Amino acid sequence: MAYKPSEQDLMAYLYDEMEGEEKNAIEKYLLENATARIELDKLKSLRGMMGQVKDKEVIAPPIFVGEHQQPFYRAPYFKTIISIAASLLVVMLVGKFSGLQIGYHDQELKISFGETKAQPVQSATVQNMLSEQEVQKMINNSLAQNNQVMQSSWTETQKKLDASVVWNLTVSSSKIDKLVKESSQASQNQIREFVSGMQTENMRLVKNYFQLNSSEQKQYIEGLLVDFSKYLQQQRNDDLQVVQTQLKSLENNTDLFKQETEQILTSIITTVGTSKSVGARN
Amino acid sequence: MTETLLDIAMMHSDTLIARAKAGDQNAQGKVVQLWYKRIYNFSFKFFQDHDMAMEVSQKTFISMCKNLPSLQENTRFKSWLYKITVNYCREEVRKRKGSRSLSFDVVWNREAEDSPQWESSTQRFDSPERQYQHRELADVLQEALIELNDEQREVVIMKEYEGLKFREIAEVLNISENTVKSRMYYGLDALKKILERKNINKETIGYGL
Repeated sequence: MAYKPSEQDLMAYLYDEMEGEEKNAIEKYLLENATARIELDKLKSLRGMMGQVKDKEVIAPPIFVGEHQQPFYRAPYFKTIISIAASLLVVMLVGKFSGLQIGYHDQELKISFGETKAQPVQSATVQNMLSEQEVQKMINNSLAQNNQVMQSSWTETQKKLDASVVWNLTVSSSKIDKLVKESSQASQNQIREFVSGMQTENMRLVKNYFQLNSSEQKQYIEGLLVDFSKYLQQQRNDDLQVVQTQLKSLENNTDLFKQETEQILTSIITTVGTSKSVGARN
Repeated sequence: MTETLLDIAMMHSDTLIARAKAGDQNAQGKVVQLWYKRIYNFSFKFFQDHDMAMEVSQKTFISMCKNLPSLQENTRFKSWLYKITVNYCREEVRKRKGSRSLSFDVVWNREAEDSPQWESSTQRFDSPERQYQHRELADVLQEALIELNDEQREVVIMKEYEGLKFREIAEVLNISENTVKSRMYYGLDALKKILERKNINKETIGYGL
């Protein structure tokens, strides 16, 4: 594979920081490769241009560096530690003076200020006063009472419900009977009326239909006849006109023919007359 | 780059550094005198701002005097000093990005107030036209330099104007030598493009005539 210098090699060669084999190789490559040579020449001329920027003259100002070492309490890390410690101290003091108490007991976190007061425990005393049997008895009593009250209220409501149902039934059945009777009577009369009405209506409709139909047909046929007679008249007129024009043209033609024959005859006569007179003269 | 007496003195300042390291204030003062111009010019080319360059230089030398005893090898003094400078330069860039204030030099053209350039110019015997051309080209090049990104600018200035070797730059920036060379290559390439855009080349400036 042909040797091709990298960007790094080019830079090293440009600044003359290359020696031995590598330098020889790149020089050989440059001899063979004109574009690379031009590229390098451009970089050299760029360097030449850059060389035109001269250093600025400057006078070093006196630099004073303090001899003494910084005391340890001015060191930044010391300051940080001290500030953290001071803030912790402040927090602790505030906690102390405000009587802050923080405790975790029986899955319960308590944060409190001041002294804790013992809470009166009444439930314990009640528990101590009543035995288990007594409690059971009380529960049973209350349950029995409750059951009784419930039972009585149920029976009462049951009675009320029964009474209301019976009353409702009687009222509604009488109403329904009445309604049924009325409806049956009414329906017979209505059917009769309806059927007779239907018949008359039908008759009327059929009559009307036929009347309308016959009058329409009449009108239509009359119209048809009139149109047909008009058409015939028109046709006749047209035919007559055609015959007339044809007759006229025939007449014209015969006139023309007549004139032409007359002309021919006169021309013949004149020619015959002249030839005769010429012959006679001779 | 032609070597001046100052450069030679800088190259042979091992004993001076050893004395400065030992706490000799006189030696420290001499080291500052020796290196101030270099550090100032590096910072000036980096920022294009006299005040910033002065500030960075001052900070660098104060830090140098304080931390010189912690320098392990005297031979690495040069890269160590540039490392401090580069760090302060970066710090200033960060500060500048944080506060979007307008540099005073933008409003007040300090250059115009200074004494004319030809007074200190090495080409004082050149024709005025030639002097003007040089000055203009220098300005354009400085502008082109400032257009490079920070990483490329650091490398280009250290290599081209401060004459550090690629190995030394790698040490200063704590990166590999190949990375330094790559940055240099792309820095030069970018400079070339910037100058082409500004229509500056050998012919237009009459360089080398």
